[in-house]
Amino acid sequence: MIHESTRRWSRVAGFAALAVFAPLALAGCGSGGGGADGKTVSMAHYFSDALGAKAFKSITTLCTQQTGRTIKNSPIQHEAFKDSILVQLAGGNPPDVYSYWAGAKTQYLVDQKRMAPLDDFWAKNDLDKSIPQSLSKASAEYNGQKYLLPFDYHYVGVFYNPKVMAKAGVTTMPKTWDELMAAAAKLKAAGITPFALGSKNQWPAQFWFDYLLLRTAGPDYRQKLMAGQAKYTDPQVKTAFSMWKELFDKGYFNKSPNGIDWPDAADMVSKGQAAMTLNGTWVTGYWDDNKVPAVQGYDMFPFPEVTPGVPQAALGPVDGWALSTAAPNKAAADDLLKCLSGPEAQRDMALAQGALAPNKNADLTSQNEVMHKAAKEVQTASTFVFNYDLATPPEMSEPGLNMIQKFVDDPSKLDGDLQEAQSAADGAFKKN
Amino acid sequence: MPETAVLTRGPAGEESSADEGRHHDGAGRGGRAGRRGRGERSGRAFAIVLLLIFGIGFLTPVIGVVLTSFKSNPEIAAHGLWTPSGDLTTDNYLKAWSDGNARTYLLNSFLVTVPATVISVVLGSLVGYVVAKLRPKGSGLITLFFVAGLFVPPQILLIPLFKLFNVNGLYDTLWPMIIVHGGYGISLCTLVMRNFFRSVPDELREAGLIDGAGEPRILASVILPVARPALAALATLQFTFIWNDFLYPLVFTRSDEVRTVMVGILSLQGQFSVAYGTQAAMAVLASLPTMAVFIAFQKHFIAGITSGAVKG
Amino acid sequence: MSTRRIGWATVFLAVPLIAYVAAVVGPGLYSFYYSLTDWNAVGGTATFIGLKHYRDMAGDEHFWLALKNTAIWTAVAVVVPTVVGLALALGLAQVQRMQRLIKSLFFLPLALSLVVVGQVWFWIFRPEDGLLNLVLGHVGLGSWQHSWLSDPSVAFWSVLVAWCWQQVALAMVVFLAGLTGVQQELVEACKVDGANARQRLWHVIIPALRPAFAVVVSLSMINALKSFDIVYVMTEGGPFRKTETLALLVYRTAFKTYDFGYASAVSVVLFLITLVTIGLFFAWTNREDHQNA
Repeated sequence: MIHESTRRWSRVAGFAALAVFAPLALAGCGSGGGGADGKTVSMAHYFSDALGAKAFKSITTLCTQQTGRTIKNSPIQHEAFKDSILVQLAGGNPPDVYSYWAGAKTQYLVDQKRMAPLDDFWAKNDLDKSIPQSLSKASAEYNGQKYLLPFDYHYVGVFYNPKVMAKAGVTTMPKTWDELMAAAAKLKAAGITPFALGSKNQWPAQFWFDYLLLRTAGPDYRQKLMAGQAKYTDPQVKTAFSMWKELFDKGYFNKSPNGIDWPDAADMVSKGQAAMTLNGTWVTGYWDDNKVPAVQGYDMFPFPEVTPGVPQAALGPVDGWALSTAAPNKAAADDLLKCLSGPEAQRDMALAQGALAPNKNADLTSQNEVMHKAAKEVQTASTFVFNYDLATPPEMSEPGLNMIQKFVDDPSKLDGDLQEAQSAADGAFKKN
Repeated sequence: MPETAVLTRGPAGEESSADEGRHHDGAGRGGRAGRRGRGERSGRAFAIVLLLIFGIGFLTPVIGVVLTSFKSNPEIAAHGLWTPSGDLTTDNYLKAWSDGNARTYLLNSFLVTVPATVISVVLGSLVGYVVAKLRPKGSGLITLFFVAGLFVPPQILLIPLFKLFNVNGLYDTLWPMIIVHGGYGISLCTLVMRNFFRSVPDELREAGLIDGAGEPRILASVILPVARPALAALATLQFTFIWNDFLYPLVFTRSDEVRTVMVGILSLQGQFSVAYGTQAAMAVLASLPTMAVFIAFQKHFIAGITSGAVKG
Repeated sequence: MSTRRIGWATVFLAVPLIAYVAAVVGPGLYSFYYSLTDWNAVGGTATFIGLKHYRDMAGDEHFWLALKNTAIWTAVAVVVPTVVGLALALGLAQVQRMQRLIKSLFFLPLALSLVVVGQVWFWIFRPEDGLLNLVLGHVGLGSWQHSWLSDPSVAFWSVLVAWCWQQVALAMVVFLAGLTGVQQELVEACKVDGANARQRLWHVIIPALRPAFAVVVSLSMINALKSFDIVYVMTEGGPFRKTETLALLVYRTAFKTYDFGYASAVSVVLFLITLVTIGLFFAWTNREDHQNA
């Protein structure tokens, strides 16, 4: 009996050994190693979904042709990208070129000397001619030097369902806060939720705070708050939140916004259950995908003026490219960046993602009317600023978004929430 | 008696004819049929109904995933997930499968999961055997030392491990996942195997020693066959955990050619986009190997105590 | 004889030790060192600051909330999966038609990708068109409806349900394996002696499942103490950190606010808590074993 089972088990062991070593041998074959040969340049980014994959299929081909280099394209899901890029930077082997969020997140890596300056590259390729000043000033410059190449951007506006608005008797879109309130009252009377919000993932709620603060206290004050030079307990902040609170008190928002996600809020608008949602231009991509027609099914107007005389800033996120300080082959990386700054690459990206292109020469005529409207808003706006989680450092944006979500859950506890945010700010800004 | 025919071998290790694949009619057949009354039957029916109700509730999220995989995004956006009406489509599966890299991802997942499972189970069994049967001084501490790996949140090990693999040039290959899962898995395998080995009578080992067999031989031909149910269950669990992990492949690979299928599923999510349907379809596809392993291995660990054990 | 035994013990332990040290112990010690520094992971410098992070923890309300959450969480997540998993395994052992397929269905919570499963739980718990609220509305329990994942008073329990759901599948697998070892002769002998089902369960089957129990309890204890994935997928610890566990706090601190030193310190504390809990459990099972021997 022992003999028989010994044989059986030695067979099992043999199989086990095979199972272990065969794949290892295969894995060994596949390992080509890093790209220090001067031909290869690695590119990591968070445009990993089907839309991004589509864009990067053509962009990779295009840039391979333009640069004559081998491009190692490495898309990573955006949340996971944050973690993985951190580990790669900490471990001393970051990709040569990587996408990043303009604003405080980039500032952080610049301060840690993880991004190489792009001034020479910028001048050599005369990028001031193709990328508008307002955008490059906001997104590319840090500590007086250029570090991030803007690649695409979005605009945050009030997206609405025209049919529902018309049904409630709102035919001209609000230009001022009072007009917006009048429209909301009409909608509410007609049994339609005026504003849809899906803040399960926290960030979709931030835009209300962003715009209300921008339109009352102005971009300069907001910049101070974001940099830790003003306090969350200031009257300016309180005013912005109080106006927002009024909307909750009047029942202008859907029930339990924290229980749903932003696509759900978008669905409420397209289905006619709600009239408006404050969100970025990416929402058009979602609607297009779900066969909601632009202009007839959805449209957009900019967040109205609140306090007259305050400069009308445009709000949104910018995605850009950074060059790693550890990149072994700067020439190859420069070639790739040049291609990524060009009108073709930026057009492909914007069209696939439903985004806007920083490069003025990118041909976006095939985009729909709503996107054209958004592009125009950005061009005419006095300044372009980033949404909250990109405007303030990560140590603050985490507790800050938390506070905003808490406020949405129970607006009556506003004062406590703001105090809590300030004590988080005391901790976050003391460190730097 | 058909029911006792499916008996498992007990810890004593005697061979029994295990024909667990066959159906058994259960109550009402065999020698004890006469002693089984109506009460037993109705109790059994009650238990089955209970199991059915619980089963449906329990499987609701799974049903949800399958339902999603057959719905298009516009359909979900318009009618929500739970409306049974509406168009069902296999597009998501076609899309998931035709996505150029799905096959590479699946292959990579196999190349990582199979060796890492084997390594962790083999090494964990060695440790388990030592602390349960050879019992050197300080076995309790040795156990705790090896099991303690389970107590470490894996996220905190990422940076040191990354540095390690970067230095020795294994970054961006399949090796890091094999090494880490193989090593990290020792903890779980030690925990499970120690407990099962402890239920194996010492006499078995001693009998082997008297026969003149050495320790490796005793382990291989006496102890391990007895532990087959535990090994099979453990291998199934390890396979599942390693297969489903996306943390390590995400961080330790950069090239598309060395990605695993879980990273592939994750990649379908965009910053501002949802792909519920394709994601669900890919998740269902990716769960098939795990299910196959479970089905294949379960005959070793679910020889099935017969119906008479707990009811009646 | 005894020296040969020790010799073999050494040989058997050598390879596992090397693999384990490389994959876990070494990196773990590295992290422990970080816990004594102010390293932010991205920057180059790590200044040694001694036990400051550990002192800070005492005054960190988020740490205490996460600790409290983890404690309640663990208590529930040990009891429920153990009991339900055992019942399920015993129940499934009765199934005779298509038993492989049916058992496999109950294994699915472990087999399906969590990313997707988390999304479906979200659809179950949604306020307006979530399955749970729809069902409650249909059976006339409309007043029980909640926004399950965003209402701070219930969100914790909602996530816990999803967690237990997955752990039940894990417990079931281990118990199914354990049941295989139950000697049928003993059960049959008991029957002949006139023992009823409950007596058989208590006096034969459950004692025979001791090793499985030890594995299930310690495993669900360990998993619960460092529970992360399904919580992360469903709520990321929200609404506003009400569902945050210690493992999630570690993750958030390390990867969202880049405070790697503090994250390492929390993970060291989490490690010690688990070590003590499991150590006590081992000691207890050892004593029980000796008493029964």
